[in-house]
Amino acid sequence: MKNSFDEKILEEANDWIKANQNVVLATVIQTWGSSPRQVGSRMIVNEKGDFSGSVSGGCVESAVVRECIGIIKEKKQFKKIEFKVSNESAWEVGLACGGEIEVYLEQIS
Amino acid sequence: MKKQLLDQIIKKKKNKNEFAIITNIENGESCIYEKNKPIDKNFEKYLDQINSYYDKKKNGIIENTDIFVETYIRPIRVIIVGAVHIAQYLVDYAKSLNFEISIIDPRGYFASEQRFPDLKIINKWPEEAFKEIETNSNTALIALTHDPKIDDPALQHALKNKFYYIGALGSKKTHENRCKRLRDAGFSDTEINSIHGPIGIKLGGRSAPEIALSIIAQLVAETYKK
Repeated sequence: MKNSFDEKILEEANDWIKANQNVVLATVIQTWGSSPRQVGSRMIVNEKGDFSGSVSGGCVESAVVRECIGIIKEKKQFKKIEFKVSNESAWEVGLACGGEIEVYLEQIS
Repeated sequence: MKKQLLDQIIKKKKNKNEFAIITNIENGESCIYEKNKPIDKNFEKYLDQINSYYDKKKNGIIENTDIFVETYIRPIRVIIVGAVHIAQYLVDYAKSLNFEISIIDPRGYFASEQRFPDLKIINKWPEEAFKEIETNSNTALIALTHDPKIDDPALQHALKNKFYYIGALGSKKTHENRCKRLRDAGFSDTEINSIHGPIGIKLGGRSAPEIALSIIAQLVAETYKK
């Protein structure tokens, strides 16, 4: 049986919008290998870079925040981004677990 | 996503509706879909595939398309008998885990609004209370009063309606006596053994929040077993 272990991210997005913030919703839409979070996992980001929720175990959130701010600035509606295994030699963003994820970003307008 | 759609989603979640959010990840369009209701024209040609995801409660991109489906299912209903201290912590845990809690307690002084803000407590005896709550094999029962007058009728209702999880608080001795009463009432050993008593997984703690944690951990484990 499944429960809907819902993290109330959409409700939080609504609160942020009520407070006149621009909000981008990021959703994990596809995973390959041992990705940290399952399809449907969500986070929200506002124009200041505040965020809530998660799309990985902390591995790619910083990059997602940057992309989301970019979307707000460029007034784009949506975007897809893919994250792959991280490069061990650097602070580069990626998934240390060896998984891959695809994240869909959409501005709530 | 349109703000209007977000409002509708939040409303449906609040009303505990089952629905799906359908998104075209190539053009950004999205809509809400409910089974047996007309689907947005832009997504009509994917209806069969969307239904297949919907029925399996599956999230993901439909193969060879740009359509992402996210299904929302009803939260699992958990009935707590006894508005006691442990129940206050169970309510907190259940919030993060998205279980839908109903509390039954005929004793008015326990079932006060101040002890359980934002939660409607059914201030009736279990036989009466169960007339107000829809229950089935996807319902769970946590009996916390260890008072046979209150717990027993609730346990009997849960056994008859084949709840997927039934737990009862009380020591081994209390539970032995409980089992004997249920046997006398005509329940089989298999039925009686399906009750988790003493309730919870062994964590070692004896405080109210620790007991609540051990109960909620057992409940989650049993949810995934089924």
